[in-house]
Amino acid sequence: MNQFGVLLKKEWRENLRNYKLFWIPAVFILLGITEPVSNYFLPQILDSVGNLPEGTIMEFPVPEPEQVMVAIMGQYQLLGLLVLVLAYMGTIAGERKSGTATLLYARPLSFKAYFMSKWMMASIIALLSVWLGFLAGYYYTYLLFGSIDLMDLIRFGFTYSFWILLVVTVVLVASALMPNAGLAAAVSLGVIVISQLVDGLLGAYWPVSPLKLTAYAAAWFENGPDLADFWWTAGTTVLLIALLLVLGIYISSRKAASTKI
Amino acid sequence: MSLLEVKGLTKSYNGNLAVDRVSFALEERTATALIGPNGSGKTTTLSMIAGLLKESEGSIQRDFKSGVGFLPQYPQFFPWLSALEFTEMAAQISGVDGKKVRQQSMRTLDFVGLGSAVNKKTGTFSGGMRQRLGLAQAIVHQPKLLLLDEPVSALDPAGRREIMDLLKSLQQDTTILYSTHILNDAEEMTDQLLFLKEGKLVEQGSLSEVKKRYAEPRIRLRFETEQAAMQFESRKLWPMIRDRHVIALPLTDEGPAMRQVLAVLANEESGIAGIDRQSASLEEIFLKVAGKR
Amino acid sequence: MEESKLLLLLLPVLLIQLGLMIFALIDLIKIPYTNGPKWMWGVIIVVVNIIGPILYFVVGRRNY
Repeated sequence: MNQFGVLLKKEWRENLRNYKLFWIPAVFILLGITEPVSNYFLPQILDSVGNLPEGTIMEFPVPEPEQVMVAIMGQYQLLGLLVLVLAYMGTIAGERKSGTATLLYARPLSFKAYFMSKWMMASIIALLSVWLGFLAGYYYTYLLFGSIDLMDLIRFGFTYSFWILLVVTVVLVASALMPNAGLAAAVSLGVIVISQLVDGLLGAYWPVSPLKLTAYAAAWFENGPDLADFWWTAGTTVLLIALLLVLGIYISSRKAASTKI
Repeated sequence: MSLLEVKGLTKSYNGNLAVDRVSFALEERTATALIGPNGSGKTTTLSMIAGLLKESEGSIQRDFKSGVGFLPQYPQFFPWLSALEFTEMAAQISGVDGKKVRQQSMRTLDFVGLGSAVNKKTGTFSGGMRQRLGLAQAIVHQPKLLLLDEPVSALDPAGRREIMDLLKSLQQDTTILYSTHILNDAEEMTDQLLFLKEGKLVEQGSLSEVKKRYAEPRIRLRFETEQAAMQFESRKLWPMIRDRHVIALPLTDEGPAMRQVLAVLANEESGIAGIDRQSASLEEIFLKVAGKR
Repeated sequence: MEESKLLLLLLPVLLIQLGLMIFALIDLIKIPYTNGPKWMWGVIIVVVNIIGPILYFVVGRRNY
């Protein structure tokens, strides 16, 4: 077996045996279910706990099913990303800090295989989680609010998947760069938050930006995004991911000497 | 040509020299002990040869292609892998042929005495078992050069004995470079001694060469009683070191010649039980080398 | 909204929650060390809904 295969098997066993393979999808599924359920029961909950005077009539606009899906994505943008960052912040930094990486680095290790195996496993779990979560949310939304066009949902999930892959890549590069898991998480979150702020403030000037992927994902439920803008953005994101992968391989090789011996 | 030749090896961290122009060569199928006080650069030297650290200056020339085997002082394993899974992964990354991986891993684990624990998770291993697994991963791909950082210092005497015996049996077809601060081990298995002090190689040679250089033979006088020894000591004839009823007389330039000693002893009535000669132990040499500027 | 439909809707949530808790507890028992005392994590996993097991996996467990 080639090194990539060997290392991917190691990553698989790791994610299986420390339960990441189970708990990360579970979190995304829970978030996916909670959003439609809490939206549906919100009036009743307020009704039962609120000390509203008898006879008060509160009007809650019933959300469109598509809005619920977009709200799920909103939850992923907060809690989902946080979970992914925390779950994979130590992928490389933690191995170096604990010294488990030393016995790998002392061998004729291909850092390309090393980094890519980690990226592959983290990406698979992240995408699996997001899609299972969207499907669970889609089902609950269908039960409680009505149906959504399946193709729209697939386009929506597909577009958001580009963004998730980019996030996973950023986390892994940060983990290769930083001396410990905590700093890697701080850097990842910093990069994500700051770039979102910048794009939020100045983004009106450029339609092609990975940070607009969430907006374009949501746009599929309306009239659809501008196709040229969308494809340029998707292409740019893929290119950015590829560049970050090369950078991550280079950094993890250059920083190998920082492993605890 | 030697199996490995190290020339002017230097490692500096922000201007501090951890290893300072170290040169030596390892001949095939020999064991070399790297000794020196804590912080003398033993681990740094081994790490550079293992390829984990990049040297600041100097060169490391290998006369072989296959990988080296490296055992750090505190080997860390992925706790969720079993001993067999870990050893197989190590073998595969080191390029062991796919069909031979299982067999070679099993045989190696058997060899280090983990034959009955192959399917146990390494997270549950005791210190002794970790050291054995560390050795297994270092030799599973049958490297020509084995680098061991304090391979036995964390073990109890029985475990130390066993691992030393394993290492000695490996010596027949492997070149071994190991660091240790347990000098009995170094004395037991060494063709070459390298003394490091503050990053510098201050002494090197075979055990007998080094011993000759630091020989400083002495005469040991065993008295029948401690009192007799004390009495002899109080006469202050020569520099002497008393340990209870034994007095040692260093035969240095300032000390007495053997002839003089015998002349004095011929007229001595204070119950001498025995006389013999003794050469310095490695431990004494170590203290001397470590102490000299 | 009838009670029974509500229960049916929430059943998967309860199952996932229970699954997370069981996975976390099994792991806690098998693992030799945690960050912080083991008993504390046991309490957190059982008492704090959903978040407890996740906190354990992210913070309490020594992953590397």
